[in-house]
Amino acid sequence: MDFEPKIVAFVCNWCTYAGADLAGTSRTKYATNVSIIRFPCTGRIDFMLLMKAFENGADGIIVSGCHPNDCHYTSGNFHARRRWIVFRSLLDFMGFDTDRITFSWVSAAEGTKWAGLVDETTEKIREKGPFTEFKKLDYSILEKIENDVVTE
Amino acid sequence: MTSLQNKVTELFENGTINLLIGFKEAIHKLPVPCFIDNVSQVEQLIFTPSCKGNLSVYLHKTEVKQAKKVGILANTATLRAIVQLVSENQLGDIEKTVITLNTNGELVVFATMDELEAYVQANFPELSEEDKKLLDQLNAMSRTERWQYWTEQFSACVKCYACRAVCPMCYCSSCTVEGNQPQWIKVSSETTGNLEWHTMRAMHLGGRCINCGECGRICPVGIPVHMLTVKMNQDIEAEFGAKTGFSVKNGYALNSFKPGDKEQFIK
Repeated sequence: MDFEPKIVAFVCNWCTYAGADLAGTSRTKYATNVSIIRFPCTGRIDFMLLMKAFENGADGIIVSGCHPNDCHYTSGNFHARRRWIVFRSLLDFMGFDTDRITFSWVSAAEGTKWAGLVDETTEKIREKGPFTEFKKLDYSILEKIENDVVTE
Repeated sequence: MTSLQNKVTELFENGTINLLIGFKEAIHKLPVPCFIDNVSQVEQLIFTPSCKGNLSVYLHKTEVKQAKKVGILANTATLRAIVQLVSENQLGDIEKTVITLNTNGELVVFATMDELEAYVQANFPELSEEDKKLLDQLNAMSRTERWQYWTEQFSACVKCYACRAVCPMCYCSSCTVEGNQPQWIKVSSETTGNLEWHTMRAMHLGGRCINCGECGRICPVGIPVHMLTVKMNQDIEAEFGAKTGFSVKNGYALNSFKPGDKEQFIK
C-alpha cells in the first residue's frame, strides 16, 4: 500500500481558517491528507500541541495564521513568530527533522495559496516517508498506530 | 573566626538580616546549603570557590520570604539569578543582603540592587570552556547524528525532575508536568515523553535561563540538559538582542516582539 502522509494543520480562526474555507467554497481541489485544527489565534498555538501531534502519529505539520500586521488581536502572530524562531532552532539543535513542520502566513483571501501549501507539504512529506524516526522512539506509539490501522 | 563569619555576625547583630542562606561543610568536605537564623550557628559557615551551588533557588520559597530580611552567599551565577529574579518581580518584599567573593577572593557585600547590577555587568562571564567545546561539537554534527546523540541521552532520563528543583527560574507553583487534564507529559520514563519534557523545560526557560549550568551538574544520569538553554539563549541574544541576568529591566524576550523580527522559514 502506498504511503499516505497524515498532516495536521494548526491554523488561526481569522485568516488561515477562512482562507481554507475559501478554498473549499471555490471548489479548489487539493490533497485530502490534511486535518485542520482551528485556534483563536496563532499566539494560542503552544509548541506542546505540535509535539503531541507528532506523538499521536502525524507525519507532517502545517502551522499557519495571519500575515504580520494583520492579526485580529493586533500582536498574536508577532509573539508566535518569536516563539517559532526559537522553537524551530531548538528542535534543529536536538536533531529533530524541522522540515516536517511548515510555517506559513495565509490570509482569508488566499484560498489558492492554502491549496498550494497543502499540496506542496503533502508532496514533501510523501517523499520523506513516514516519521518513523520519531515513532520508533517509543514502542507504545508504534503499537497504537498499528492498532489504528487494523481497526480502520 | 573567618572574615565571612565576622561579617555575618555583624549583620545579625545590627539587625540587617534575620536569615542567612549559606554553605556549610558536610561529609567528604562537600559544601551543602544551610540556613542560619542566629549568631550561634555562624561558625559552621564556609564560602570557597568550590561552593558552586546556586542558592538563589531558595529565595522564592515561602519560608524564606517570610523572614523578610535575608542574607545570601552568592557566586557569580547566583548574582545573575538574583538580577533575573528581580527583573521578573519575584523578590518584591524581601530585603536582600547579598555577599559574594570577588575575583581576588575578597568579600563584597551589596546593600542595593544598583550596586549588584553594576557588579554583574562588569563581571559578565563567557561560556565555560567545557560547554563551548560541547556546543561546537554538537553544532558540527549532522542533524541525524544530533538526533542520535540527544535521543540516546534522553532515553537515560529517569524523570526525577532534579533539573527543575535546582533551577532558580523554575518557580511556578504548578508545573505543566504535574497537570493531568490533559496529561502533557507522560509520568513514566520513556524516550518520547522525556524528549517532550526536556523540550518543554528548555522552551519555558529560553530567554530566562541565566546559564548557571546547575541542571546539567545536578543530573544523576549526566545528561547535559543545560546545553539546550545555552543554545536557546544564544539564539535569543543573536535574534532579539536580549541578554538574560544582565539588567533588572530585562523583560522577557518571548513576551515581547518587534514588528521587524527576521526569519527565513515562514512562507
